[in-house]
Formats: sequence, C-alpha cells, structure tokens
Amino acid sequence: MLTPTHEFNRAVGIPRSAAVEYPYGRPVGEVGDRAGQRRVLQAALAVLAEADRPGEVRHLPFAWPQEAKHTKWQPPDMSPIVKANLEQIKAARSR
Amino acid sequence: MQPSGKIVDGFHFLPPSLGAWIRNTIPDTPFEGPIPWAPLKQPVARTSFALVTSAGIRLGSDPPFDMEREKREPTWGDRSYRKIPKDPSRRREIAVNHLHINPDYILQDINVMLPIDRMVELEQDGAIGRLAETHYSFYGFQWNSTEFIETAIAPMAVQMAREQVEAALLTPA
Repeated sequence: MLTPTHEFNRAVGIPRSAAVEYPYGRPVGEVGDRAGQRRVLQAALAVLAEADRPGEVRHLPFAWPQEAKHTKWQPPDMSPIVKANLEQIKAARSR
Repeated sequence: MQPSGKIVDGFHFLPPSLGAWIRNTIPDTPFEGPIPWAPLKQPVARTSFALVTSAGIRLGSDPPFDMEREKREPTWGDRSYRKIPKDPSRRREIAVNHLHINPDYILQDINVMLPIDRMVELEQDGAIGRLAETHYSFYGFQWNSTEFIETAIAPMAVQMAREQVEAALLTPA
C-alpha cells in the first residue's frame, strides 16, 4: 500500500506499506510530474521487494513542494461526516 | 530503498482540530491482530501487478458511486467497485465521486491517484513483470467492512486471479 496516513495501520493490519507525506488524493505525486510519480512508485515497489515481516511500514523521503495550507486537497463542500461532527471536531485536541 | 530517517506525519495536511479528531479515533499502539502475508515469489521485475484505489474513480460511462445516501447517512459509504482498464483508449473519459477529497487533480491526471500510465512505462522498461488489463476503484469510506468484502473485495480478487495477478498496489485516497 502507498499510503498518506500510515497511522491508520494501527487500526487495520496491512501487510506492507510505503508511507508518503503527500496530500490526500495525490499519493503518487503532482499532476503531470511524470518523473516524480515514477520515483514514488519505484520507492513503493522497493518496499514490496524488501519488506520481510507483516505490518512493515517504510517512510518515503519525499516532501511535497507546497505548504500544507496551499494544497487545496479538501472537497468543495464539507464532507457529511465532518458536518455531522463539527462541534466535536472544533473541540478536539490530540491525546 | 534504505530507511530515510524521515517519519511521515499522516496528519500534516489536515487542519489541526480535524487531525486531532481523527487521531483520537485510532489506537495509540501497534496493530495486534493477524496480518495477511503472501511472500513475494519472484523479483518485482517478473511480478504481475494490478492497481487498486479507494478514490471513487470510474469511467464516465459507468454508474456513479452513491453520494446522495452518504449525505443522508454520514457513516455510510458506497459498497460497490468499478473496473478501470489499462488500455488508455478505453478510459478516455473518467469521473470521480468522492466527498472527502478535491477530485480535480485526478480528473487532470489519473496517475496522481491510480498510476496506470506510470506502471505501463515501468512494464515497458522491465522494472515490473506485467501490468494486468484490469484495475479497480472503490469508495474508501467503509465503516463496516463485512458487506463490502462480499460486494467488492471478493469479485475484485476473482478477476485478479483470472488475470494471474501476483501483487496489488493499493493507493488510498
């Protein structure tokens, strides 16, 4: 799996994961960036080749070229689950 | 690939309160249940692949994923899946149904999410053995997966076996 949120692997058992710090909806890379997309895929394939234990997560070294606030990954309208839990979300703090 | 030293922050792009809310729904400790494991039987350069994404991608000619029911039932996600062909002439028009991401980037370049064209190039370069003719997209908002396993995962696995797929690359949205 090539995942933007490897933390979910604590809830679900995934055989092999390549974690990438890219925005949701673009785990392979930027639009039209053929070379960058290939680099990410080759790194993910290397995880498949080299991982030797169930649940292994390798963290890929790539960095997204924009600040998080400029990535515009969010849907045009607030998702139903966020809308339904908005007050709890506003009040949420990390454990 | 050698470990890079970087630790990926899966909440880096989320607003802090939304990240905290999601973080509070998952355990602090590593997964302790059984994890499926199928050893790679041969080098990646001889392995056949299929791609699977949870991004709600479909052909324009296929029926949309059901977004309206999710709007009424915020913890329900469409249980179906769609096939996406390898052949670019059979996927000239794609659509995306997803209420949790901005679909515009996928519509501009499917490879940001479902990297079929990049994997075709890796197949041509000999970096992978073979890319299957069929790839798969489902809707990645599954809170109760029992029904989803029957309606989507099982038939995807049958088709993969038919096409002699040996490894699947999943790209969650």
